[in-house]
Amino acid sequence: MTAALRPAAKQASVSGALSRNRSIAIGLGVLIVLLVIGAALVGNFLAAENLRSMLLLAAFLGLASLGQTLCALLGGLDLSIAYVIGAANILLPKLINLGLPPVLAVIVVAIGGAVIGAVNGLLSFRLQGQALIVTLGVGFAVLGGAQILTSLGSSFAGTVYGVVPVWLSNMAAINGTTFGLHFPPIILVWLVISAGLIMIMHRSWFGRSLYALGNSRLAASRLLISELKLWVAVYAISGLMAAITGVLLLGFSGGGFADVGNPYLFTTVAAVVIGGTSLLGGWGGYGATVIGTLVLTVLTTILVGIGLNYAAQQAVFGLLIVPVVALYARSPPIRMQI
Amino acid sequence: MSAAVLRTRRFGLGGTYYGVAVGLFVVLLVISAVCGPHLFTLDGAAGAIIVVVPLVLAAMALTPIALVGRGSVDLAIGPLIGFLNVTLVQVLIANDVTSPVAVIAWVIAVGVAYQLLQGAIIVFVRVAPIIVTLSGYLVLSGVNLVIMPKPSGSVPDWMSDWGSGTTVFTPVLLVLVIGLVAWLLFTRTAFYQHLRLTGADERMAYASGVQTNLVRLGAHAIGGFFAGLAALAYTGLISSGDPTQGSNYTLSAITALVLGGTSIGGGRGGIIGSAVGALDMYLITYVLSTFNFGIVSGFVTQLAFGTVLVVALLSNIFLTGGKATAR
Repeated sequence: MTAALRPAAKQASVSGALSRNRSIAIGLGVLIVLLVIGAALVGNFLAAENLRSMLLLAAFLGLASLGQTLCALLGGLDLSIAYVIGAANILLPKLINLGLPPVLAVIVVAIGGAVIGAVNGLLSFRLQGQALIVTLGVGFAVLGGAQILTSLGSSFAGTVYGVVPVWLSNMAAINGTTFGLHFPPIILVWLVISAGLIMIMHRSWFGRSLYALGNSRLAASRLLISELKLWVAVYAISGLMAAITGVLLLGFSGGGFADVGNPYLFTTVAAVVIGGTSLLGGWGGYGATVIGTLVLTVLTTILVGIGLNYAAQQAVFGLLIVPVVALYARSPPIRMQI
Repeated sequence: MSAAVLRTRRFGLGGTYYGVAVGLFVVLLVISAVCGPHLFTLDGAAGAIIVVVPLVLAAMALTPIALVGRGSVDLAIGPLIGFLNVTLVQVLIANDVTSPVAVIAWVIAVGVAYQLLQGAIIVFVRVAPIIVTLSGYLVLSGVNLVIMPKPSGSVPDWMSDWGSGTTVFTPVLLVLVIGLVAWLLFTRTAFYQHLRLTGADERMAYASGVQTNLVRLGAHAIGGFFAGLAALAYTGLISSGDPTQGSNYTLSAITALVLGGTSIGGGRGGIIGSAVGALDMYLITYVLSTFNFGIVSGFVTQLAFGTVLVVALLSNIFLTGGKATAR
C-alpha cells in the first residue's frame, strides 16, 4: 500500500509457493478444529440441516469476497461492495415492479454493478493508494442514488416490496433444490465459480498478470502489462459480483432492503485476510479466501450456538484478525528496508 | 525531504492543501445565507457549534495518524469515541466520580492509552495499520454493547447544559479551542517535523536518524488526546451514554479528513483542513435540510457526501499539483 511496505511482498514471493501452501494448510487445520469444537459445543452441529445453512451463508460471503480478493491482490481494497449489494437488492425488485421481465432486470442490475466497479477501478488507479476512500465515496453515492430512485412514488423509504421470481427464490433460499437434491443451487454455483477462478488465476494471462502487478509494478510494466486495464477489469469484476450477491440476497430474503449489505462492509475484508491473502498485493488467492469464508461462517455459527449476540461475534472476529495476519503478512522492520 | 521542501509544499504555488475545503466552505456559507438564514442567528450558530464540534475533533484525531503514513486510517475512531462515552458514564459517573478533573483526565488518559496500544501493535507486531484499526473497530463496537447494551445513564451536573446550545460561547467551544491551541503549539516542535518526514518517506526519515517507531507511537498518542476531547464534546452533546451512535463518526470523520486535503498516504495535510472539512460536512447537511426532500432527504445527503468525497479527492490531487501517492 505504501512505498515502505513493498519489500515485504517481494520477500513473500520468493518463498511464495511454500508460504502459500502453509497458509492453506493452517486455514484447513483451523477449519477442522472449529468443526470439532462446534460439534462438541453445539447440538446437531454436523446435522445436514446445519451444514446446509452454513454453506448457504458461506456462499453469499464467498461471492461478495471474490472481488475483494482480486482487489487485495492488486494492493487495493473495495469498500463499495457493501453498498453495491444494498443498491442491487433494492433496484432489482423496483425494476421488476416497473414491469421489466425478471431475467432482463437481473442483467441490467449486473451490468450496472460492473459499470460502477469500472468507475471505481479507473478512479482508484488514478489515485494510487487511496482506493479505500474512493470506493467508500462511490459506494455512498451509489446507495444514496439507488435509494432516491426506489423511493420515488413509494412511501417506504429504503425498503422495496415486490414479487420475487420463483427461480430466484429457489436459487438462494434455504429450502431450495438443485436437480431434485435438497440444497440450494447457489452452493453449487459458488463451487463452480471458485474452481473456475482458481484455474484462471493460475493458468491464464489475466491471473498471472494480476500477481505480477501486485508484486512489482516495475516488473509488470516491463512485461507490457497494462496497469489501468487490470485495475478497471478487477474492480469491474468486484462490482459485478457485488451486484450478483445483492440479487441472490433478494432471493434469500424475498424483499429489497437497502442496508442488507452492511454486514459485508468489513466482513469481506476479514474473510480475505483470515484466508491469508495479503492486503499489500501479489500474495494469496481465491482458494485462501474460500477457506477464510468457511472459517468465518463456521465460527459465527458456533458463536451464535453458544448464545453470543451480533456485537460479541464482531468483537471475536476483530480479536482474530491481528494474530492471523501476524502469521502471514508481517512487514520487515524498517532497518531491513533501506 | 527537508523542512524547507515541506514548507514549499505547504505554501507553494500549488496552493495550500486545504484550498478545496476552504473554497467549498465559502460557497456553502453563501448558499446557507440564502437558503437558511437561521444559521446566522445566535440560536442557530449556537446549535450548530454543539453539533459540529465532536465531528471536528474526531477528524482532528485522525489527522496525526494519517500524517504519519503507511496508509493509516484509524477506522476505530468512531467506536473509540463510543467506548470513552460509555465507560465514562458506566464506570466513572455511575460510581459517583463526577469531578471535572477526573472526567477530563479519564477520557484523555483512556483515549491515549488505547491509541498507544494500537500504535504498539502496528510498530512491534508489524501488521498493516488498516488491519489493526479494522480489528479495533470490530472489537470496540462489540465491547461497547457489552458494557452498555442500550442507551442510558446521565452526565454530571456541570456538564448537563452543554448540549442545550443557548449561547455561542459554550464549554464545548472551549474544548475545541483548547484542541486547536494544543495543535498549533505542537506544530512548532521538532517532533512535528519528524512526523511529517516519517509520513512523506519513512525510509529516508529512518536513514536521517529519526526514531520512526517512536514518532508513530507519538502520532497515535496525539490522536488519542483528540479522541478524548471528541468524546468529551460528544458526551456533552448527547448528555448520556450511547453504545452505537459513536461508531457513525468513523465514516464521517474520514470523509472530513479527506475533504480537508490530508492524504492518507502520509506526509501531506493538517488539522486546519480536517476542521474545515468537518464544517463543510455539517454545512452540506444543513443546506440540504433547508430543501424539502421529504422521505428521501437522508439519501440525498448520503449521495451528496459520496459525490463530494470523490470530487474533493480528485480536485485535491489536481489543484495542489501533488502526485498521487506511489506505492
